[in-house]
Amino acid sequence: MTTIQKPLRSRTRQARRQRAARSPRWLLIGAEVGLPVILIAAWWFASAGSTNIFFPPLQTILARLWQLTQTSEFLIDIGSSLGNLVASFVIACLLGVLLGLALGTSRFLSWLLEPVIHFFRAIPPVALVPIFVSLLGFENETRILSITVAALFPVLISTIDGVRANDETLDMVSRVYRLTWSERLFEVVLPAAAPRILSGMQVGLIAAFVVMIASEMLGSSTGLGAKTLLAQQTFTIADMWAGILLLGIFGYLATFLFELFRRRVLRWYIAAQQQERQL
Amino acid sequence: MSTTVRRFLVGCFGVLLAIAVWQLASMIGPLAESPMPSAGEAITTMLQLLTTVDLWLSTLDTLVIAVVGLLAAIVVGVALGIAIGSSPLVMHATRVIVEFFKPIPPIVVLPIVVLVLGPTPFMGIFLVIIGCTIAIAIQTSAGVFDTDPVRKATGETFGLSRAEVLRRIVLPSALPYIGTAVRVAAPTSLIVAVVAGLLGGGPGLGQSLLQAQLAGNQPELFAYVLILGLLGLVFQGVSSLVERRVLHWHPQFRKENP
Repeated sequence: MTTIQKPLRSRTRQARRQRAARSPRWLLIGAEVGLPVILIAAWWFASAGSTNIFFPPLQTILARLWQLTQTSEFLIDIGSSLGNLVASFVIACLLGVLLGLALGTSRFLSWLLEPVIHFFRAIPPVALVPIFVSLLGFENETRILSITVAALFPVLISTIDGVRANDETLDMVSRVYRLTWSERLFEVVLPAAAPRILSGMQVGLIAAFVVMIASEMLGSSTGLGAKTLLAQQTFTIADMWAGILLLGIFGYLATFLFELFRRRVLRWYIAAQQQERQL
Repeated sequence: MSTTVRRFLVGCFGVLLAIAVWQLASMIGPLAESPMPSAGEAITTMLQLLTTVDLWLSTLDTLVIAVVGLLAAIVVGVALGIAIGSSPLVMHATRVIVEFFKPIPPIVVLPIVVLVLGPTPFMGIFLVIIGCTIAIAIQTSAGVFDTDPVRKATGETFGLSRAEVLRRIVLPSALPYIGTAVRVAAPTSLIVAVVAGLLGGGPGLGQSLLQAQLAGNQPELFAYVLILGLLGLVFQGVSSLVERRVLHWHPQFRKENP
């Protein structure tokens, strides 16, 4: 079996390499940069003379966005939104990893709490916002709590999975070498579980971003989400589009920055994976 | 006693414990002063709600929005994925755009979608499509791109047409990727369907939830959230069941249940 598979596999690799070399590099890079530019230009020109009230010219939207960023009120809204997002996400990550370590290492605890955790995770996180609003009112704590809970469960569950999926040999070796409890935790268990933990955090970050907007849209008056919904309800369409654009950019940036962080933390893992693929 | 039974019993005990803690906290504990209903009240209200026609109608609304949106997203996503994955040039051309839109959740465009389409079921379906398509397209294109070139060449050698190569070789080899993407997208579609009701005023459980909150009806509010949790569990279960059914032939699944 293997004697046939080996040449086949090398044939596959060869064919892949050939395909990659078929299109010239400058064309690929040109297309990568070119199409987005073309699309933005298309939006700009197609909407330039637009009289449709729902889709104002891109120029108007950008001008309005620039105007808004000059007002301190708008900057406070942005600060409040992003501050809540970052604070809650950090809290959720810390709590999630701590609880996940406890549940991942203790079989009894995980048996006891896992059904409850899976039930909570199945609730759409946005649906919890009305509950927190009804219990705590429209204060900022409500938003922080909602975002934290939304981000907590993905981190928690991926940490439990990550810790449990650890190679038993690693555990035995670290026991044989008499690593202390904290050394085992920080040098062996956590790094080995890190790829899964970080992908859980990535899911949690998106959930946190959604709930950040939702918690502001549900009856709050500060924050970018609240301002965007208010603009929609008062038919100040350019303001609404400005909010949508800015929220989109923040959503992208949040994930982008997290990806940079992930690559930094998981350098060793990513490098090892690449090496494996080239073998 | 076997491990599975013990595990099940301990899990049940955990659920009971959680309910008991909730009951105590809301009656004599730290939350006695707050408007939080006790566990008993919330569960009784939930059981009462489960006997009403209205609840099942709004559940149906939410499910229709989620499922129709998800199916449409699968069709669009797979078509896009095949287009993107078949040619390195298209893949590069769309990479920046896809990467930019991927992390942006549909709630961002909710205000404009509600404005244009109004608080209708179609608005919800549209948001679900926006929320699920890109992830499915990315996975599909990865699957199509990863198809073994030797297999494709073999198919061509045997005189298969391009459509046949696509149907018999490329799609089956991309199917596990698509299956994973759909399983991941299924809970998202439910969440977006609820969001469309809660924030966009569309029909369904989200709207019921909002009305309970606005009416200050605490037990009902909690009951709806419990129902949403149960619905979420059912949704997850069904989607992984479907994935296993469709992909029962794949080695990864054959290994799991020999």
